[in-house]
Amino acid sequence: MKGFITQVGFEKTFKYAEMIKEGLIVTILLSIFTVVIGFILGIILAIMRLSDVRPFRFLSLDKNGRLRGNGILLTISKFNPLSFLATAYVEIIRSTPVLVQIMIIYLGVFSQLIKLPRFTLFGFIRFERFFPGVVALGINSGAYLCEIIRSGIQSIDGGQTEAARSLGMSQGKTMSNIILPQALRNILPAIANEFVVIIKESSITYTIGVADIMAAVNAVRGATFLVMEPLLVATALYFLLCFPTSKLIAYFERRMSRGTKR
Amino acid sequence: MAQSANLIHVENLKKHYNKGAVRALDGITVDVNVGDVLVIIGPSGSGKSTLLRSLNLLETPTEGSIFFHDVEITKKKTRVETVNPKTGKKSSKMVKINIDDHRQKMGMVFQHFNLFPHKTILENMTLAPVKVKKMDKKAAEEKAMQLLARVGLTDKANAYPIQLSGGQKQRVAIVRALAMEPEVMLFDEPTSALDPEMVGEVLEVMKELAKEGMTMAVVTHEMGFAREVGNRVLFMDEGKIVEEGTPDEIFNHPKHPRLQDFLAKVL
Ligand SMILES: Nc1ncnc2c1ncn2[C@@H]1O[C@H](COP(=O)(O)OP(=O)(O)OP(=O)(O)O)[C@@H](O)[C@H]1O
Ligand SMILES: [Mg+2]
Repeated sequence: MKGFITQVGFEKTFKYAEMIKEGLIVTILLSIFTVVIGFILGIILAIMRLSDVRPFRFLSLDKNGRLRGNGILLTISKFNPLSFLATAYVEIIRSTPVLVQIMIIYLGVFSQLIKLPRFTLFGFIRFERFFPGVVALGINSGAYLCEIIRSGIQSIDGGQTEAARSLGMSQGKTMSNIILPQALRNILPAIANEFVVIIKESSITYTIGVADIMAAVNAVRGATFLVMEPLLVATALYFLLCFPTSKLIAYFERRMSRGTKR
Repeated sequence: MAQSANLIHVENLKKHYNKGAVRALDGITVDVNVGDVLVIIGPSGSGKSTLLRSLNLLETPTEGSIFFHDVEITKKKTRVETVNPKTGKKSSKMVKINIDDHRQKMGMVFQHFNLFPHKTILENMTLAPVKVKKMDKKAAEEKAMQLLARVGLTDKANAYPIQLSGGQKQRVAIVRALAMEPEVMLFDEPTSALDPEMVGEVLEVMKELAKEGMTMAVVTHEMGFAREVGNRVLFMDEGKIVEEGTPDEIFNHPKHPRLQDFLAKVL
């Protein structure tokens, strides 16, 4: 046996430094795009879930214009299609493995339904693999971020909405100026946590050929027959991405908490 | 309806909860006239807050109507008369009622202040004038500073709400509402959440406001204020107006046994 972990092994691994560096950049870009898509999707889904769109509202009134006490019509009148769709989306995404979702997006949607142009970004990112990866991860994290954002919005005291509305602010202005800024500040730790989860989970995209850290390390393993050294490099890189990210966001969270703490 | 002095007219207003099991408001009819300082008193749970909050539709009534400037704001649409300036011909059309337009004209002050914690005092005061009234930011800030000076809080302009005492917060809440130049101010127990030593400073501001002729509807347990500043007092119980009169009538010659009972407890 030639040793479990050896210096020579690391030296051999670092011959592929360029490839690993490209993998690192891919992982970073993948995570950033994912969190942006996930965040926008999450806000839209959260607002859908909390919306009060009831197309059959009129069914709640009887012939004399009084509110019905009970019955099927009252149930139908409470139906909110936006909220229903968003809830269904969130529950389906959260109850299925991200690997299956990635396969469906890559092998199903983007190979058979939509043809993506083949080109490379920065000379090493293959768009036709990177893009489905981002979409799949964004779709996935959107569901989780929706729940985080929803709980953040619901945690804001109702008096805030009442004060804003009593000043004549519309529902939309109240949401964007009063509720969301406070909600986002409250959920920043949870979002940071989700970002770290995304960085780690993005490693799964190597299964559809995205050349991220994990793919680079696998390539090195294949070429050198080394096991531990490339994996330790991957471990170190993921740690160096995730650990400072959570620390950095904790720092911003403290700075942003002015106004809520003395 | 004819043009009249009442700013707000409430007609047989009802608000029920739990399918009518709770009748927070049970047929309220009342007018708020220009220049009124209408004080609403009554035991806990009698519907005072519900009535006040219905006036600007923070609560949606189950039944009945509210007119503001003779526009029935409890309806979705209203008929607007227009006169063609060229032909002098009158015509009318249905337009959608935008409650936000009416709320701008009704300032509201809450028991728990409800300042926006993520904004400075100045930002709290300029937000609605700038975003809703499309006021110029500079002009809005100048106006806000004048109002702050009136309540002696100029030095707090750049502070955050958390840095203020309860009494200071409530004074800011009042001038924040005033920054929208409302025609009527609604107060829901504005001093109930304050430490006793801070009640006076807030009542003082409200007294000033009344002196300047502001139309006000005030829910309060401060009977001294009701007597001294109010020109009309409503006594509510179980969702109904049980007795209405001048402060003298209500406090010195109460007729209804429930009012006599209530006064015996609070005075
Ligand atoms: N959301 C609600 N659901 C059910 N019942 C409610 C709701 N809001 C208010 N009520 C009931 O309506 C009644 C009137 O409440 P309201 O808050 O108007 O009383 P109040 O006179 O302001 O009392 P207080 O002096 O305690 O503030 C109470 O019996 C209350 O329990
Ligand atoms: Mg109350």
